[in-house]
Amino acid sequence: MTALPEWLSDNRDTASLAAMLSPASSQSLETLAAESRAITLRRFGRTITLYAPLYLSNYCSSGCAYCGFASDRKTPRHRLEPDEIRRELAAMKKLGISDILLLTGERTAAADFDYLQRSVAIAAEEMQRVSVEAFPMSVSEYRALADCGCTGITIYQETYNRERYEALHRWGPKKDFIARLETPARALEGGIKSVGLGVLLGLSDPVEDALSLYRHVRHLGRTYWRAGMSVSFPRMRPQTGGYEPPFPVDDHLLARIIFAFRIALPDTELVLSTRESATFRDGMAGLGITRMSIESRTTVGGYYESENEERREKGQFEISDDRTAREFCAALRRQNIEPVFKNWEPSYNGPSSSITLAMQSEKEQPCH
Amino acid sequence: MDLLQIGSYTFSSRLILGTGKFSNSTVMLDAVRASGAQLVTVALRRFNREQAEDDLFGPLSAIEGITLMPNTSGASTAAEAVRAAHIARELSGSPFIKVEIHPNPQHLMPDPIETFEASRILAKEGFLVMPYIAADPVLAKRLEEVGCASVMPLGSAIGSGQGLATSEMLNIIIRESGIPVIVDAGLRSPSEAAHAMEMGCEAVLVNSAVAAAGNPSEMAEAFAEAVAAGRKAFRAGLMQKSGSAVATSPLTSFLGTF
Repeated sequence: MTALPEWLSDNRDTASLAAMLSPASSQSLETLAAESRAITLRRFGRTITLYAPLYLSNYCSSGCAYCGFASDRKTPRHRLEPDEIRRELAAMKKLGISDILLLTGERTAAADFDYLQRSVAIAAEEMQRVSVEAFPMSVSEYRALADCGCTGITIYQETYNRERYEALHRWGPKKDFIARLETPARALEGGIKSVGLGVLLGLSDPVEDALSLYRHVRHLGRTYWRAGMSVSFPRMRPQTGGYEPPFPVDDHLLARIIFAFRIALPDTELVLSTRESATFRDGMAGLGITRMSIESRTTVGGYYESENEERREKGQFEISDDRTAREFCAALRRQNIEPVFKNWEPSYNGPSSSITLAMQSEKEQPCH
Repeated sequence: MDLLQIGSYTFSSRLILGTGKFSNSTVMLDAVRASGAQLVTVALRRFNREQAEDDLFGPLSAIEGITLMPNTSGASTAAEAVRAAHIARELSGSPFIKVEIHPNPQHLMPDPIETFEASRILAKEGFLVMPYIAADPVLAKRLEEVGCASVMPLGSAIGSGQGLATSEMLNIIIRESGIPVIVDAGLRSPSEAAHAMEMGCEAVLVNSAVAAAGNPSEMAEAFAEAVAAGRKAFRAGLMQKSGSAVATSPLTSFLGTF
């Protein structure tokens, strides 16, 4: 069994975070909220950056016990073809969306690297910012994606508890804990500008997982000094397969985790998705969260379909905040927070590099 | 009249306003008007040609009497900043470009090497280049040599509100500079802006301190007054600080009298 990396037990600066995270902490939730809000306002201002997910394919080769798209589920499988991707992008653009996250399952013949790369290139023609949440790739594959306009990779460890991880990932490529752990570093090595990390809250001890997640962020930040970093706090939602999370996280603990991360990582993007309720999302806006998803559809082809009221099938998980972009933005504005749809410029696309490399890469443009 | 001159452009206001972080564009536009700023910076990444409601450039360009200075915030290399500058000039028609290159999106510290390279290229192309830099006196001179229109050293980290933490270095930059020195980033209060002007800065740029204030318009006005007061004090000539008390038995009595 491969040994765990040293950074995973690096306790250099986890003491104050651990103190804030402990449910028995002497710091009240209200005190943490006030500090978290002040830091957020100073560093990020009164704005929230918006993005939306686009499910390209729900084919999958892994057996994650908690996922509605695991390969043993009876969910109908699809992948979007180029014209369907364009149709989805057009429907998303009508909603004002310009920052998207493309999703697939684990690598399959139906949705492999070439398929993903082609999809990124199509999305980058239409959207201002394109990120990917798919399967782990090699350094050169990540570089090729960056060349096609992918700026961010989201890859959650799900849980940093190796035993729990191995029990939950029943089969498939995702079963290898260490390989998963090393994926964000490979993405950055390949020139991807930012990585999104997270744990799926509910799978294992949430406080332990939060501390490991923090160590991962700090380790990557020290190793890849150009890396943009965001941290997400997905909580288990009801999904196909009916998995019951053994470590449910209530609203108070989730709020405590978010405030503690904002205080411990004052400059890092903190993300909250439509998995959470409208009430929770509205409450957390301005208190630490700086990036939110909107108008989420967790089915393949969901945007065009909801425009046309066609079939409605089950997605990867049920979303909780199902407000339209307009309704959601109105709620943010009522709180004196500006929803920002475009906060990126495609001229900044391309692999992260220094002067010499940047000048070289201008000559090679494989996607154009 | 005491005017700020950058290239062939002159401005009677010495307060430059940033336009990010505001709760909405109405509040931002009100703050811009209240500040009396004539030079206003806006990030190219906040230009949105597809959705007017999300666009900062359109409404700003409709305000009379201001010159827009697009910035390259978000760029992490010289090549990206140069591409962004070209697009920004195309869209805005402004000859100004604020070169902002921060490869680490967490602490947003400017990269001196990439900034120098981008500034050199853009100055040669005829842009009025305003580079955002750390308070480094040598880098400031290097940028002056390649034709920058000003240098914009930071007072402290962006959004930190730590004020003029770099004042020792700023003093050297101001003393040695042949182009306007504009303090950019880190200011929290109007008194700090006044202090920067008293030190001899030609202008200051403020964003977070106004956007995050309880009443952004009022704070913008307060900054405008402080900048004007600081400038007036600089021009009037501050009295010398006395280094130590004058000794009752003169130290130089051994020199005898004339």
